Amino acid sequence: MAYCNRGEMDDDGLIAAVAAGDDRALRELLSRHGPWLAARLRRVLPAAEVEDVLQETFLAVWRGAAGYRPAGSAGGWLWGIARRQAALWLRRRGPAELALPAVPADGRALADPAEAALQHAELADAVNALGPAGGAQREVWQLMYVEDRPVAEVAELMGVPEGTVKSRAYRARRLMRAALRREPVRDGGGR
Amino acid sequence: MSGPELTGDRGGLAAGGPLPPDVDLGRVWLGVATQVWRRRPGRVERLAGRLLRSPGLARALVTTPSLLLGWVIATVVLLAAGAVATRASGTPWVALCAPALAAAGIAYAYGPGIDPAWELSCSMAVSDRMVLLVRALALFGLNALLGVAASAVSGAAAALTFGWLIPMTAMCGLALATATVARSANAGVAAGLAGWVIAVLAGKAVDGHVLTAITDSALVLPYLAIAACGTAIAVYMTRIPRGTA
Amino acid sequence: MNIETAGLIRRFGRTEAVAGVDLQAGPGVFGLLGPNGAGKTTLLRMMATVIPPSSGTLRLLGRDPGAFGPRREIRRRLGYLPQSLGYYPSFTVLEFVEYFALLKELPPARVPGAVAAAVEQVGLGDKARARLRTLSGGMLRRVGIAQAIVNKPELLLLDEPTAGLDPEQRVSFRAMLRDLGQRASVVVSTHLVEDVGAACTEVALMHQGKIVFRGTPDELTARGVAGGAGDAPLERGYTAVLAEARS
Repeated sequence: MAYCNRGEMDDDGLIAAVAAGDDRALRELLSRHGPWLAARLRRVLPAAEVEDVLQETFLAVWRGAAGYRPAGSAGGWLWGIARRQAALWLRRRGPAELALPAVPADGRALADPAEAALQHAELADAVNALGPAGGAQREVWQLMYVEDRPVAEVAELMGVPEGTVKSRAYRARRLMRAALRREPVRDGGGR
Repeated sequence: MSGPELTGDRGGLAAGGPLPPDVDLGRVWLGVATQVWRRRPGRVERLAGRLLRSPGLARALVTTPSLLLGWVIATVVLLAAGAVATRASGTPWVALCAPALAAAGIAYAYGPGIDPAWELSCSMAVSDRMVLLVRALALFGLNALLGVAASAVSGAAAALTFGWLIPMTAMCGLALATATVARSANAGVAAGLAGWVIAVLAGKAVDGHVLTAITDSALVLPYLAIAACGTAIAVYMTRIPRGTA
Repeated sequence: MNIETAGLIRRFGRTEAVAGVDLQAGPGVFGLLGPNGAGKTTLLRMMATVIPPSSGTLRLLGRDPGAFGPRREIRRRLGYLPQSLGYYPSFTVLEFVEYFALLKELPPARVPGAVAAAVEQVGLGDKARARLRTLSGGMLRRVGIAQAIVNKPELLLLDEPTAGLDPEQRVSFRAMLRDLGQRASVVVSTHLVEDVGAACTEVALMHQGKIVFRGTPDELTARGVAGGAGDAPLERGYTAVLAEARS
């Protein structure tokens, strides 16, 4: 492999390198994405199993890197693989092993407890991306989307103009979407 | 000395949380690397492992320098050329060449002349004596088989087809002894080659026939004696590896 | 006790390279110091079962290396890094380490994991698939260390292991030694006195085939307090003991 600094390659480049048989690119991917994947998996799995599932995930990445289409998001693709491995494990072990949330957010019981646990983990992650509790984005999210209030009411409760509410809501949606699809947010930080 | 830490959380991605403290990415990488880096032995090696009941011995066998594909192909090509030449000219080139080829192969199979890690090899659970035995037998068998096949194809008489097997053992013994004493595979090859050329020329000088070295039955015992002595010398000289101390 | 010798002698022709050594060592890191020709390498080679003693007794890991069966058992639990280790230029790092793992009769199922762990432990994960002919001297030395530790040996014998390693690598190497010394007997033969001071629990100084000092690094340092050539306390102890032995 020609000398190149894998630390500076982007995810698409790394995955292409893995498809070409570069084991160091695989290690770089693990170094970059392992932490957040582990954090998300840790919500539903015990620590030892997180390691096993991560191992299976990156072995699947090694075998299936050729099937990655660069148009999508590398993070989303990786989470998709990790998710499948986690679901396999969860279904094998049975309901007693699941670290289940109390109840899914919308009250509907999902037929598959494994699926429920994974969706909960994804959602919790995405909500975290909105910033700290009490911050502007979280408040907007809570008021407009969870509690389903109209814009005027939210503006009054938060003490800001409606235009500000709309732009915060827009930003919140972008952050959520980026988090769910594991894409980097393209603009700079904002309120 | 353990490799780069696998704990870095690169910025630029939406927060998913830092690495949980009870998850060890280094362990994860080891598990991945074990599978990604593993070597899967080929069919020949697996078969050898089952026959010899030792995967280590099988690996030593298939990594013999003179049993690598390139060498085997070269031997086949040379013997085939010999067969063609025999059919064309009537002189049994195969019988004349085969012993020298085998001797070269043996010189390149074992001992300090060919193994740069010889000292280390002498501290292994799979003993170097077993490696010698297995490699020598495999080489000998392969050369005998190829030689007999080439001889038969070239239409030589039965006595010639098999007659050179005995001189072959002698030349192999000579080459192996020289290679281990001189700690040089090339010296072993030279000795085997030279020994055989001398034998053939001497036979011709005595009888006028270039094949005397092969067909004269009085030479059988001397040849076997040379083979035995050569092997004994090689075994004795490699009894204690000469170290750098 | 992993190493027990009594009156160990090894002759080459008329010279006695090892002239009567009595040694007992259990788990820990044991440093072997001495000038060239003192007999350190010969002693190590006897412990590696590469050469037999001329006379005296030697027991390794509770077994007698003179008999075929016990010698094979010892060799399965042994790790050895010779002073100059040749390499197979066309082999990759993984192939080289795996070759010797197989020759040490490590169970085949455990070989891939052990090889990966050894290669990572010496910091050659990035070069795992590089051919040996492309590596520097220091990297080749680390490959040698990797093959020595691949079978998690109970007896680890290292002859000048830090040759070619840069200071940072030597620091992590010493940390690895201390780690290994928890369970195993590690014998390090070296010219570098500071290697000994940092990693070893015990030190022996050899001179003309005999052990002229045996004790902790601090005790060796103490011997140099009265006077001895050297820039560091341990060095002064070393030269003081040698001067005494020569007089």
